[in-house]
Amino acid sequence: MFKLSKTLILLIVMALTLLALAGCGQSQSSSSSGSSSSTSSSNSSEQPKGDDVIKIGTLGPLTGNTATYGISTKNGVEVAVDEINKAGGINGKQVKLFSEDTRGDQTEAANAVTKLIEQDKVIAIVGGVLSSETMTAGPIGNDAKVVMISSSSTASGIPDIGKYIFRNCLSDDVQATQLAEYAAKDLGLKKFAIIYTNNDYGLSLKNAFEKKAKEVAEVVDIETYNDGESDFRAQLTKIKGFGPDALYIAGYYTEAAKIAQQAQEQGLKAQILGADGFYSPKLVELGGKSVEGAIFTAGFFADDPSDSVQNFVKAYKEKYNSEPDMFAAQAYDAAKILLTAIKNANGEGGEALQAEMAKTKDFPGITGNTSFAENGDAVKDIIILKVENGKFTKLR
Amino acid sequence: MKRMNYYLQVLTVIGINIILAVSLNLVSGFTGQLSLGHATFMGIGAYTATLLALKLHVPFIPSLIFGAAMAAFFGFIIGVPTLRLKGDYLAIATLGFGEIMKNILLNLKITGGPMGLRGIPKVTNIYIVAAAVVVVIFTLNRIMISRVGKSFIAIREDELAAEAMGINTTNYKILAFTIGAFYAGIAGGLFAFLFRYINPNNFGFMKSIEILCMVVLGGMGNTAGAILGAALLTVLPEFLRSVSPLISQYRMVFYGLLLVVMMIVRPQGLLSNTSFYFRRISVEKNAGKGGR
Repeated sequence: MFKLSKTLILLIVMALTLLALAGCGQSQSSSSSGSSSSTSSSNSSEQPKGDDVIKIGTLGPLTGNTATYGISTKNGVEVAVDEINKAGGINGKQVKLFSEDTRGDQTEAANAVTKLIEQDKVIAIVGGVLSSETMTAGPIGNDAKVVMISSSSTASGIPDIGKYIFRNCLSDDVQATQLAEYAAKDLGLKKFAIIYTNNDYGLSLKNAFEKKAKEVAEVVDIETYNDGESDFRAQLTKIKGFGPDALYIAGYYTEAAKIAQQAQEQGLKAQILGADGFYSPKLVELGGKSVEGAIFTAGFFADDPSDSVQNFVKAYKEKYNSEPDMFAAQAYDAAKILLTAIKNANGEGGEALQAEMAKTKDFPGITGNTSFAENGDAVKDIIILKVENGKFTKLR
Repeated sequence: MKRMNYYLQVLTVIGINIILAVSLNLVSGFTGQLSLGHATFMGIGAYTATLLALKLHVPFIPSLIFGAAMAAFFGFIIGVPTLRLKGDYLAIATLGFGEIMKNILLNLKITGGPMGLRGIPKVTNIYIVAAAVVVVIFTLNRIMISRVGKSFIAIREDELAAEAMGINTTNYKILAFTIGAFYAGIAGGLFAFLFRYINPNNFGFMKSIEILCMVVLGGMGNTAGAILGAALLTVLPEFLRSVSPLISQYRMVFYGLLLVVMMIVRPQGLLSNTSFYFRRISVEKNAGKGGR
């Protein structure tokens, strides 16, 4: 047993040493005045002191299979931070951004948010990106009184984590409810069928859509599928038997395009309805003719002619040489709301910032005018898009 | 509530991963039964403990232990039919079991489906995890130096010979599986009460593989190796996060690279040499008994 305890002690010492080493390094941070790649590798001692800069963080998957969401979010925030730094910063102080990767993993999200708060001493965080991340990181931020604003965690229950947790995105509940109402009242559809992907996103959408649709019309059938599946004929055959007017696909564009195709093959003539998971050029690429006429809700429409949207799209393209997506746009708005609140709170974090955030009213962003409900959830108008001749057009 | 700083947070996660790695090591390293569903037992422990605490307001320690007992029960139930299988077949069967449990968790109302369970009180801290690690490793070592532990190793070394020596191999394999599941259940409970939110994706196939990587990296059949593997693979992504921005961007590449290089350079794992130090301990113990 002596041998064992010696080995154990050795191991614990090794682990501690590694941790101590980890502390000597410095996080990925970009001063955001230059491009995203011009990141410094200075020691923490060389960092400007907290008085000279205002530190905020982003949290999301920058690696792994959900990385596109996280990278878009980070880019959107960087555009917003650049903008404010070029305009002289907040009360003369530059904003410094720290971006942490979560790999889409809950454990890493908890580690990363703790690092942002404890090591980097950020006063506010834009993130997490995935709902499961925010569910884990949120309570940690809330306990530490660090304001967090998620721009894409759509699951219900996120704003209820605590008063420091805000959200600027279409919640699944709101977009599904509004679409059900629009479809029944404005489009005159009466018999709805629902097919949803069996994860938190699909389930939230389905529940809200079903509830509203039952009030204003009729729900004839509900089917489910798993992400990554490619054969939906069994579910669609069953749905066809009920003869619905409309098929609400609560899922992402890859599967949605296939569902629409297979529905067409089977002669299921129903109006295709969807949610923000549809918003990607891939929908039309994959779905072709079968998604023509599909109507869905979205948080952002890049072809919107308004100045603010076009300015953002231009800045984003210049910096990253790619089209901004919904994640980038919502993150940009979230960062703008946050930076405005920081300005109003004179660069203070904690309670002062929380109070300023809660006061946000009709903030004119590129994803619509945003206010916060009492629990910190965004209240905003919903954009409804339609596929016409292979292009998205705005219905509302 | 006390704020936990970054190091303590990482250290706590290391502790939980150590429990997972040593418990899988008992099944795969010592007894030689390749299990690809270890995270499932962690999930059963996490969900049971969480549901007890949330719905029935059972205190922390009893719900933790009950969660572990539930995991052990499932380990037993699964072990009885599957442990008659060998090698690859067992691996596939445990894999299948993991997928079944994940789908059950995804579809049950009480588990919140894909939404998971939230609002779990934060109880787990570094002291509780450290205590759990000590208890788990201590009891594990007591088992391994007992007759039971020697039977496990005998089964790994040569199942036929073990059978010939009068060891009921199936029973011992089920026992190893059940004990391993019990420990994994404890880790699951600690995980739930640390992160305050669980969903079925935490306990999927990838997590099982991650645990297996820890064991293989450290050295199969060596508790110290499993501990080292767990610590390394938990610290590494966090360490790479803070070295430099460039490395941080590609840290998962380094992570994969380390595993590949390790398997080429040292396929037996960092601390392997099979179970040398357990043999040494047992030799010393026997020597002591002999009065020399």
